[in-house]
Amino acid sequence: MAFGTETLDRSRGGMWPWLGQRVTAVLVIVTIMVHLVLTHYIAIGELSFDNIGARLAGGAVLVNDIVLLVAVVYHALNGLRMVVLDWGLASSGGRRVFDVVLWLVGILSIVYGIWALWVWVS
Amino acid sequence: MSAKERETANVGAGLWKGIGMWAWVLFRISGLVLVLYLFVHLWVISQGRVGGPESLDDLFEFFDKPLLVFLDLMLVAAVLYHALNGVRIVLMDLGIGIKHHKAVFWVCMLVAALALSAFALKASSFILG
Repeated sequence: MAFGTETLDRSRGGMWPWLGQRVTAVLVIVTIMVHLVLTHYIAIGELSFDNIGARLAGGAVLVNDIVLLVAVVYHALNGLRMVVLDWGLASSGGRRVFDVVLWLVGILSIVYGIWALWVWVS
Repeated sequence: MSAKERETANVGAGLWKGIGMWAWVLFRISGLVLVLYLFVHLWVISQGRVGGPESLDDLFEFFDKPLLVFLDLMLVAAVLYHALNGVRIVLMDLGIGIKHHKAVFWVCMLVAALALSAFALKASSFILG
C-alpha cells in the first residue's frame, strides 16, 4: 500500500523520532492537563508573579512543569521536522543541517525555560 | 469482500475520506499554532526573570482583556483537539480499535468537546465580563 503508516510516518522521518514523538505525546498529555487545570481552571483570574511562586513552591508543580517543558519542546520541534520533511526538504545535506539546528534550538529552549523558572525557586 | 468489509478495510473510503483528511489538516494546523505559542509562552514567562516581577505582572495585566481570554480559550481548544486526535493516532498505532476507527474518532472528539466546555464555562465570566 502506497499510503500505509509505514511510508507516511516511519521510514521517512526515522524510527527513533517516530517513537520519541509517541513517548513525548503521552508525557505531554499528562503534564499539560495538570498545567492547564491549574492555570486555566483552578487559578483562573489569579495569575500573577506571586501566584506562580506559590504554586511552584510545593515542588510537585515544578517537577510537572519541567517534565512538560522538556517533553513539549521535543514534541514541538520533532513535529515541525515531520511537517518540513513532508514538504520535501529531503536532500541529505539540508536535512542534517536542519536536524542540528533543531537540536540546538531545542536544547537552548529547555535551558532558557528552566533558567526562567528558577526565579521562583531561588 | 463484502461492502461492509471493504468499508472497514479501506480507511480512506467514502465520507470518511473527507473527515479523515480534515482531521489530519486540523492536526497539522493546531500543531503548528501550538509550536508558535510555545515560544511566545516561553518568552512571556521568562520576563519574570528578565525584567523582574513587575514586568511579568504588567504583561498579565495587559492580557486581562475579553478578546485575549477568548484567544486563550481557543489555545485550550487547539491543545484538546491535538491531544485527543493524538490519542486516536496512538491507539491506531497500537492496533487498538482499528475496526471501529470512526467510533474511536468521535469518542475522542466528544471527550475533547466536554473538556473544552468545562474550560469555557470557567472562562466565560472573563470573556463576557
